[in-house]
Amino acid sequence: MSTDAGTRPQQATHPSARPHGASGQPGGLATMLRIIGRVQRRSALVWVVVLAASMVGTAAGIAGLYDTPAKIHSYAAAVTAGNALAAINGKVEGIDSLGGVIQDEFGFMAAFLMPLLGISLVARATRREEESGRLELLLGGRIARHEPALAALIWASATILVTAVLFALGLAVYGVPVAGAVLYALSLGALAFVFAALAALMAQLTRHARGVYTGALVVLAASYVLRGVGDVTSSWVTWLSPLGWAEKTAPFGDQRWWALGIPLVVGALLAGVALRLASRRDLGSALVMGGAGPARASGWLRHPVGLAMRIHRPGTLGWLAGGALFMAMMGALARQLVDAMAGNPALATALGVGATRPLDGFVATSQLFLAIIATGYAVQAVGTLRAEEAQGRLETRLGGTLSRRHWLGAHTVVVIGGLLLIVVSSSLVLGLTAALSLGDGAEIGRSMDAGLAYLPAEALLAGLALALYGLRPRWFGLAWAGYAVVAFIAFLGPGLNLRPWVLDLAPTTHVGNPPVGAIPVMALAVMTAVTVVLVVVGFVAFHRRGIPQG
Amino acid sequence: MTATVPVIRIEALTKVFGSVRALDGLDLLVQPGEVHGFLGPNGAGKSTTIRVLLGLMRATSGRVELFGGDPWHDAPHLHARLAYVAGDVALWPGLTGGQCLDVLGATHARVDEQRRADLIDRFDLDPTKRVRDYSKGNRQKVALIAALAADAELLVLDEPTSGLDPLMEAAFQQCVRERRDDGVTVLLSSHIMGEVEALADRVSIIRRGRTVITGTLADLRRHTRTTVHAVTVGDPVGLADSAGLADHQSERRGELFDSRFTIDADDLDAVIGTLHESGIHTLTVTPPSLDALFLQNFGDESDDDTVAEARGERLAASR
Repeated sequence: MSTDAGTRPQQATHPSARPHGASGQPGGLATMLRIIGRVQRRSALVWVVVLAASMVGTAAGIAGLYDTPAKIHSYAAAVTAGNALAAINGKVEGIDSLGGVIQDEFGFMAAFLMPLLGISLVARATRREEESGRLELLLGGRIARHEPALAALIWASATILVTAVLFALGLAVYGVPVAGAVLYALSLGALAFVFAALAALMAQLTRHARGVYTGALVVLAASYVLRGVGDVTSSWVTWLSPLGWAEKTAPFGDQRWWALGIPLVVGALLAGVALRLASRRDLGSALVMGGAGPARASGWLRHPVGLAMRIHRPGTLGWLAGGALFMAMMGALARQLVDAMAGNPALATALGVGATRPLDGFVATSQLFLAIIATGYAVQAVGTLRAEEAQGRLETRLGGTLSRRHWLGAHTVVVIGGLLLIVVSSSLVLGLTAALSLGDGAEIGRSMDAGLAYLPAEALLAGLALALYGLRPRWFGLAWAGYAVVAFIAFLGPGLNLRPWVLDLAPTTHVGNPPVGAIPVMALAVMTAVTVVLVVVGFVAFHRRGIPQG
Repeated sequence: MTATVPVIRIEALTKVFGSVRALDGLDLLVQPGEVHGFLGPNGAGKSTTIRVLLGLMRATSGRVELFGGDPWHDAPHLHARLAYVAGDVALWPGLTGGQCLDVLGATHARVDEQRRADLIDRFDLDPTKRVRDYSKGNRQKVALIAALAADAELLVLDEPTSGLDPLMEAAFQQCVRERRDDGVTVLLSSHIMGEVEALADRVSIIRRGRTVITGTLADLRRHTRTTVHAVTVGDPVGLADSAGLADHQSERRGELFDSRFTIDADDLDAVIGTLHESGIHTLTVTPPSLDALFLQNFGDESDDDTVAEARGERLAASR
């Protein structure tokens, strides 16, 4: 992990580095490793800490909650009762053990976080650098063409390895057998490695860092579906998916160490092709070039609201997909969750659901998660305005006949529309999937009411973000800080037994946890009024200040 | 367009950001129909002046009039009569060049469709390409075409040719001349002398937020000195004592005498006579350029970092 690692043993680090690049000089790779290390040090550290903490936290929580073989057995029985959980978390061999429960619980998170770790580490260090023109500066020096990609892969592999070691240690500490812990940690590391190599290849094929993410995430989604289909049908299809390869090592069942070889070999092949392409292609070129688009703008796009919709579209669709997928998953699991909670009150407590009305509790928990997702969308959407200004587009926009009020008004309308879209669609998805799972349509209305009740709380944070943007864009970070506090209180507040006045800081607390509690109309009215005041402050301040401000 | 109301009238404008005085008593007067060069080194306050002029920023003090109106209070209304190209052209990465043209055109004065098509052709722009795939020069072209295609009375162009290749720069200059011939007023902010020299009728030079000098190019040239490099067969006796001569350097090179000096335009004739008497071998007379004017104005302040930097940049740009 040290950035000094590459300073001295230059040839020793990778003796085969030189023959590839025409302008390759001894020390080029070492220099590149140092540069990437310097640029990525902090993000790599954050990844490692967050991943290790979530794994250790999961292990600690489960070891505390399922402290007897009987409890583990009842968990295993509940989970294996239906196929929904196998589709989502994977089919865990040897689930009737502490390690098996952890693998199952961590399965959903690991399936996304581990590949994302590999993708982001490599995408940041390769195509994003090339896109920004910084790589050109380096290749003008003594760095050979393939060395940035190679250095990025070496760094990603090192980060992944450190993460895996911490996983194994954390699991062993909480009583998971060492062999199983090591195999499980290595299987997750190998999963991240495959996607790191895939990202390195994508970085040669597409022109923009965005394309690297899109391509790699599409492969990840396909892997998830293949693994899900294979697990539900108990067929060979699982073996087509990198996620399946990790699962099939069966660390807590009948261990297959050789299955680790598949991701390692595939990853090495992908990396080899990526490096070969990197050393042969021109800087800035790609196999897949951007396609052409329409030569004229539609009348709708020329309208301020139309352009605002276009600007907010990617963000809105992303948050909508997140909200709807989460709600679909929860809804599909409604039957299993309700049954599992009936058989195991500890599980209900762990999920923060009262044991008396499990169904309402389940809807309430899901809606609180959705409220946090929707609030995140709102804050991020208002933050887009800051990007428009900082990157200079606002100045161009206001250089014409468009007034400040109309510009901000158009964006406000679009952000409110996006918020409604996300909340209504996701609530509907929860209601429908839960109705299918439970065979009872009453959940649709209850879910929708609860979802709509959270709107004033969500709008309040959006209003805060808008006021900050209007007053001083530089203060916008405070909106995210506020969001972090609200999310923390909403998720962990009740579990950590925080004081009531702390809980009251979050607007979500005042919504009254519907449908478990009644919806307090007065509180919602007050929040709406505060939101209106904040929005007016934002508009007035925006009208009076200088543009652009960073 | 009435001849009596100036298109732009700025008097004693100041703008203070915290403890920084970005504009410090700036004056600028632009009459209808003229191409006005707005010159100054980087950081002199050109962009800030333009932002105040467009009502994007509020003046700390001073008088700012655009078409005789107050831009801070009446920006959108006044903007209907102008088109603006910002210093750092930023467009929406996901839109195509053609879509950006239409989006920008929707908030400009009326767009002349015929001219739009013509300009796309002349600037050799592919309007179906996404902005994120454009080079810096191509993004610049989109902003320029949008402004030039608008039926505006005033074009406000902030460093408009940055990123353009020489061929496109020539196309740009031709387009600006055509717009001027149509009666359009142009405010051309730049730190590139050659560009301003090629286009501007009148010039204002600013430094550290203040107008240093303003006038027609001919006026300004009268204030500058002609540079002469002469190689003569005989020793040009008495040259050093000629009226209006300065920066004199003379040395003997083998058989010949090498002299370098600068001279006021009015005294040029007498000096050439003196050189002629000594037998001219070769003679290079460099007419006063804005470059020289620029260096003359800023040259006496070599302790000033901004100016020193600007001079270096100037030199690099003019060679």
